[in-house]
Amino acid sequence: MRNLGRYSAALGWVALSTLIAEALFRLTGNTRLSMVFLAAVLLSAFFQGSGPAYVAALAAFFVYNFYLVEPRFSLSIDAEDMLNLVVFLAVAMLTGSLTGRVRDQAARAEARARTTDALYRATRELSALSDESTIRQKLAEHLALAARGEAFVRDGLRTISAREVALDPALLRELASLEREPFAAVKSSPCGAWTLRPLRAAGASLGVAAWRRGGDAARQEDGERLLEILADAGAATLARARLAAAKAEAEARARTEDLRNALLASISHDLRTPLAAIMASASSLQEFGETFDPVTRRDLALTIQEETERLDTAVANLLSMSRLEAGAISIEWSGFNVPEVVERAVERRSGWMGRTAQVSLQSNLPEALGDAVLFEQALGNVLENAFRHTPAASPVEVAAFSERGEVVVDVRDAGAGLPPHELERVFEKFFRGRRALQTTGTGLGLSITRGLMQAMGGSVTARNNSKPAIGLTVQLRLRAAAT
Amino acid sequence: MTQVIGRLLLVDDEPQIIRALTPALSAAGFEVEPADSGESAIQRMAAEPCDVVILDLGLPDIDGKDVIARIREWSEAPIIVLSARDAEDEKIEALDLGADDFVNKPVGVGELLARVRASLRGRERRFASQAVFRSGDLRIDFATRSVRIEDQEIHLTPREYDLVRTLARHAGRVVTHRQIINAVWGAGAQVDAQFVRVLTGQVRQKLEADPSKPRLLLTEAGVGYRLRADDPR
Repeated sequence: MRNLGRYSAALGWVALSTLIAEALFRLTGNTRLSMVFLAAVLLSAFFQGSGPAYVAALAAFFVYNFYLVEPRFSLSIDAEDMLNLVVFLAVAMLTGSLTGRVRDQAARAEARARTTDALYRATRELSALSDESTIRQKLAEHLALAARGEAFVRDGLRTISAREVALDPALLRELASLEREPFAAVKSSPCGAWTLRPLRAAGASLGVAAWRRGGDAARQEDGERLLEILADAGAATLARARLAAAKAEAEARARTEDLRNALLASISHDLRTPLAAIMASASSLQEFGETFDPVTRRDLALTIQEETERLDTAVANLLSMSRLEAGAISIEWSGFNVPEVVERAVERRSGWMGRTAQVSLQSNLPEALGDAVLFEQALGNVLENAFRHTPAASPVEVAAFSERGEVVVDVRDAGAGLPPHELERVFEKFFRGRRALQTTGTGLGLSITRGLMQAMGGSVTARNNSKPAIGLTVQLRLRAAAT
Repeated sequence: MTQVIGRLLLVDDEPQIIRALTPALSAAGFEVEPADSGESAIQRMAAEPCDVVILDLGLPDIDGKDVIARIREWSEAPIIVLSARDAEDEKIEALDLGADDFVNKPVGVGELLARVRASLRGRERRFASQAVFRSGDLRIDFATRSVRIEDQEIHLTPREYDLVRTLARHAGRVVTHRQIINAVWGAGAQVDAQFVRVLTGQVRQKLEADPSKPRLLLTEAGVGYRLRADDPR
C-alpha cells in the first residue's frame, strides 16, 4: 500500500512539472524545458526514494518527449533525447540512492534510539527488583513488548509469561535440552517460530527466555539484538538478585550464630562464676575448716550463701529471658508494696562485691500495679549493673516516689555515666558500653529489665546525672494501682 | 601458723573468687597477692616476683594468654591457668605459651593446691636435673635410659622412651600434644595428635597394670597427657 502511494506521488511530481512546463511554454513559447522535468525526478528521488525516482525519470522522459519536443504530440527519439533520458535516469539514480541512504540512516538511528530507550527502561525496571519471580515476570513482559509478539521465561518446570502461551512438545523438548546443558555457551537457538535463549550469568543457570516476534518486527535485525541483550540483562539481574539473597541469608545466619555464641558465653559465665566461688569456699571449709579462725569460716559460709543467691538470680534471668523471647512471660498482676520489694532487692544484693545501696522512700507511696517478683528481678539487674560498673567506694542510691499516677524507682550511681548515644543502647541485648569493656559482665541484665518492665506496662530509661553530680540514674516506672 | 612456702599471685577479675580462694591458699602456706586485671598482674609480678601464679584466662583488660606471654619474657615462675571445662583450644594455647598446668573451673582447693605443689616441684626437678625419677612402682634412670616397674626392666623403643622421659620431666603436669611431638619427633615435625595417641597406647601396654584403666599415664582429653607424680603432701 505504502509503495503504491510512493509511486503515485512520484507520478504526481511529473504531472505537476507537466503543468508548470505547459504554463512556461504558453508564456515564453520556449520548448527547451527539460529542466522542469528534471526537477520532478529530483523531487521524486528526494522524497520517495530510488524506485519511484526511476519511474518518474521514465515518465518524465516520455511526457517531455511526447508533449514538448518537436514534432509535438509524437514520440520521436533522437540522440539528444537519449541524452535527456540518460541524464534523467542518472539524476534519479544518484539522488535516489543518496537520499535513500540518508533516509535509511535516519530510520536506523531512530530504531537504535528506540532500542536503547526500551533497553534502558527495561533494565532500569529490572534492576530495581530484588525478587526472582518478579524479575522473571517483568522480563517476560518486556520481551513480549520488544518482540511485539509473545514471550515467556522458563524456570525449571514453571512458565512465566505476561499472557498464556501454548507450549508444543517440540518446544518443550528444546527447553528441556537447553536446561540440561548448563555450561554451554549462551546463544539463541530457533525452535519453530520461537527463539530460545538460555538465561545464564555469573556461572549460574537461571532458566530459558523465549520469544516469538509478531508482525513487521520480524524483519528488523536490530530487534533481534535488542531481545538478546534484554534476555542477557535479565539473566544478569536474576544472578544479582540470587547472590544478594544468598549474601543476606549468610549474613543473617552469621548474626544469629554470633548472638547465640554471645548468649552461651554469657550464660556460661553467669553460672560458672558463682559455682566456682561456691566450690572453692565449700572445699576450703572441708579441707581446712579446723585451721581457719571463726571469721574466715563465717566469711566462706557467707560467700556460699551470696553466690547461691547470685546463681539463683542468674537462673531467674535466664528463664525470664527465654520467656520474654517466646512471648510467654506470665505476670501475676496485683498491686504490690514497692518499698518492701525495694528493700528486699537491695538486701539480697548487699555484700556483692562488697557493695550496698542507700535507700530513700517517700512516705504514703501508692501500691504499684504489676508482678512483685518480676519487678524485684528488674530492679535487681539495675542494682547489680550499678555495683558492677562503678568504683568500689562510690555510693549507690535507690529512691522510690510517686509521680503523675506512676510509681518511680530511681537507681542513682556516682560512676562515670554514659556517652549520650549509649543511654538507649544499654538496654539492647549484649550491649556493653565502651567503658564497660573494663569489666566483665554479660550485657543481658538491662535488656531483661526492659523486657520485664515493658511486659508489665511500665518503662525503664537511663540518663546521666545533671552536673555537678556525676554518674548514671536508671529510672523504672510502673503504673500506680487504683486505690 | 604454717610456715610460708612462697608468694602466690592470684589473678581473677571476680572478687568473690579471690575471696573464696585466699583463706585456703594462705592456710597452705602461701602469701596471696590478689590482682583483678592482666595489667595489674604483670605490674605486681614485675614489682616483686611471685613464686607461682594462678591465672584466670577471662580478664577484662587483656587476654590471659597475653599475660602468660608477657610474664614468660622474664619469669620462669610456674603459671597455673584457671579455665572453663569446655575451652580446650584456649588451654592448649596457654600451655604452649608457657603455662605449666591448667585446672577446670569450678575446682576444689584440694586439687588446686596439689597442682600448685606439683608445678613447684616440676620446676625444681627440671632445674635440679635429677638422674632418677620415681612415681609409685615406676623408676626411670635417665643416665642409663632404663625404665623399671617394680624392679622389672621394661624395654622401650627410642620414641617410647622419649615420650616417657618428656612426661617424667614434667611429672604431675599436663604436656600438650604439640609439646610431645616437639620432644619426640622434633620441632616442626608433620605429625598429628593421632601418632601421639598410638605411641601412648604402646607405652601404656608396657607400663600400666591395666592399660584400659591407666593409673600412671593419664589423658587430659583434647589437650595432652600427664604422668602421675607422687604427692608427698
